[in-house]
Amino acid sequence: MTTKQDTPVETMPYTEPSGLEKLHERLTETGLTKAGVYGALAVFLVWTLFPVYWLVTATLKTRETLLSFPPQWIPVDAQFANFARLFAERPEFVTFITNSVIVTVVTTVIATTIGAMAAYAFVTFDYPYNLDFHLPFYILSTRFMPPIVTIIPLFVIFRGFGLVNTLRGLILVYTMFNIPFAVWMMKGFFEEVPESLIESAMIDGHTHLGAFFKIVLPLVKPGLIASAIFTTIITWNELLFAVILAQSSQAITVPVGLASFVTKFSVQWINMSVAATIALVPVLLFAFMARQQLVRGFSMGAVGK
Amino acid sequence: MVTVEYDSVKKAYGETIAIEDIDLEVDDGEFTILLGPSGCGKTTTLRCLAGLTEPTSGTITLDGHDVTNVHPKNRNIAMVFQNFALYPHMTVRENIGYPLKVADVDKEERENRIEQVAETLEIPELLDRDIANLSGGQQQRVALGRAIIRRPAVFLMDEPLANLDAKLKISMRSRIKVLQREMDITTLYVTHDQEEAMSLGDKLVVMDQGNIQQIGSPDEVYHQPVNRFVAGFIGSPSMNFIEVTHSEGQIQAVDAPAAFDVTLDDAVTKRYSGTDEMTLGVRPQYFTIHTDETANAVEAEVEVTEPQGDEQIVEVAAGDVSLTIVAPSTIDTTRGDTVWLTLEDELVHGFDPDTGDRIGDPEEMVATTRASSSAGSKS
Repeated sequence: MTTKQDTPVETMPYTEPSGLEKLHERLTETGLTKAGVYGALAVFLVWTLFPVYWLVTATLKTRETLLSFPPQWIPVDAQFANFARLFAERPEFVTFITNSVIVTVVTTVIATTIGAMAAYAFVTFDYPYNLDFHLPFYILSTRFMPPIVTIIPLFVIFRGFGLVNTLRGLILVYTMFNIPFAVWMMKGFFEEVPESLIESAMIDGHTHLGAFFKIVLPLVKPGLIASAIFTTIITWNELLFAVILAQSSQAITVPVGLASFVTKFSVQWINMSVAATIALVPVLLFAFMARQQLVRGFSMGAVGK
Repeated sequence: MVTVEYDSVKKAYGETIAIEDIDLEVDDGEFTILLGPSGCGKTTTLRCLAGLTEPTSGTITLDGHDVTNVHPKNRNIAMVFQNFALYPHMTVRENIGYPLKVADVDKEERENRIEQVAETLEIPELLDRDIANLSGGQQQRVALGRAIIRRPAVFLMDEPLANLDAKLKISMRSRIKVLQREMDITTLYVTHDQEEAMSLGDKLVVMDQGNIQQIGSPDEVYHQPVNRFVAGFIGSPSMNFIEVTHSEGQIQAVDAPAAFDVTLDDAVTKRYSGTDEMTLGVRPQYFTIHTDETANAVEAEVEVTEPQGDEQIVEVAAGDVSLTIVAPSTIDTTRGDTVWLTLEDELVHGFDPDTGDRIGDPEEMVATTRASSSAGSKS
């Protein structure tokens, strides 16, 4: 009998840590790693939040103090009247906000509903020719092209159907753009729901549809909320299509309204800052209200074993 | 009274055949085990009865009613899944009571039945806990509770113990058996664990490659396997199979004619008259190991011993033939030792080397195994 003992192998009882590992250990011991991480985070925070700070403080300044140099870091003599002045000078801004709210809410509801139902169908059923694998990809592929390339044909088509300058038109475009995203997001969540739960629900007396509403939907709630938030943010902030497809005030949305403060002759900095701050609030509020669900949504697997 | 009948049930996914031709009858109150290696079609067979998989052809009847195309919700069945399939967004109480809630049973009645079931399963203190905070064994009980609360006509279980640790498995096993006996519900139970199958079932259905290989009591499939597959699948450690030549009771291993050369009993020899070549099947328990030279024995060298407490598993090599033996732990032997093995003649099996079918008259086998089972059982 030959055994492995015939060819002894040199083995080390342990592996020497590499130079990099040693350095890391040393840094951790001295607390430098921690300091480094917090330092980097601080830089990142300032970098991302400073523009927001500048925007919000601008609403309380006058044109002179806003453009003064050296800059006024904290507004002295806060001009709360700026808010009233915006609506006095540009009363149509109320319509813009209403338009944005309508377009965003309707788009979010439609896109999330259709996206969720399509995603569930793709995850659950088998289709011929492997379509359940291929179709979601082609749905997503509509988002690969730069949106601007579809604007001219869309404008021509929309004009033909009388959809230019209407909220219906905007809702149609935004729904189309958001569904692929909602499908993909929800697909991930539905895949997390074990098939046996649906089967178990059917054995317990549900139809397939009943199982979907009573068992599956409650489990993917974080996903629904997360995709609703994304759809809301994308729709609320959309400028490109709105600028082309909505030119009269009955259909103008907030981003277009903001852009209109830049005129041929001047930029209305203060009005623009006030309007932008107002535009910021609804989405922020929505995201904050849903943040518990949002975090669970991103960690996926929230559904359990 | 609920009987289950499969009549020529087949399920194919395109070219792939999951089950080929299943004919099976389960009597009222019987505990039937579908047993086989993974991919043998046992789960598909169960799912066809649940209505979760639609058979390609054939019919399934419950008590004489054709239910082949009936929706799962309209079959009075309950099922326990391998991963328990508890609803994670509900408490234990809601989970157990869910089938009643769907069936619109009024709240008071529901609460009573939930309490009863929880008592039966000894989990009343868990009722208001979340599913996520339960251990595997507790989840298992909740899954059982949800299944029995309906008082179903048929009880289906798909590897319900596979996710539990070894100790819990054994305690849950006896609990399931007691529960089934008390409720007297016709039960189909899928497992790949032959030990679990033997200990639970009234009737074992051994499956392989989409077909039933043998249906019988645990004793029957153990002592009278119809073919080499069943013989090898049932029993632990697995049966030894040796290619041998046979001439008037003289058995020689093809790969080790010198070391493996024994004469069988006259009574046993009769079974194999007219057979020159066969596969000899000997369970590891049916070899007796000797440390001194013994007549009419197989000479072999010990490769490794695995102590198991009361007994030990000894791997030996007789020429080029490897054999697994179960021996009492009192036998003191170690790697490299020469040992002599005698056979319990009456308990060996001969299989046709081509078809794998067992050679010999089954009736006669029953007689010999019964007679010797007291002597042969557990050395």
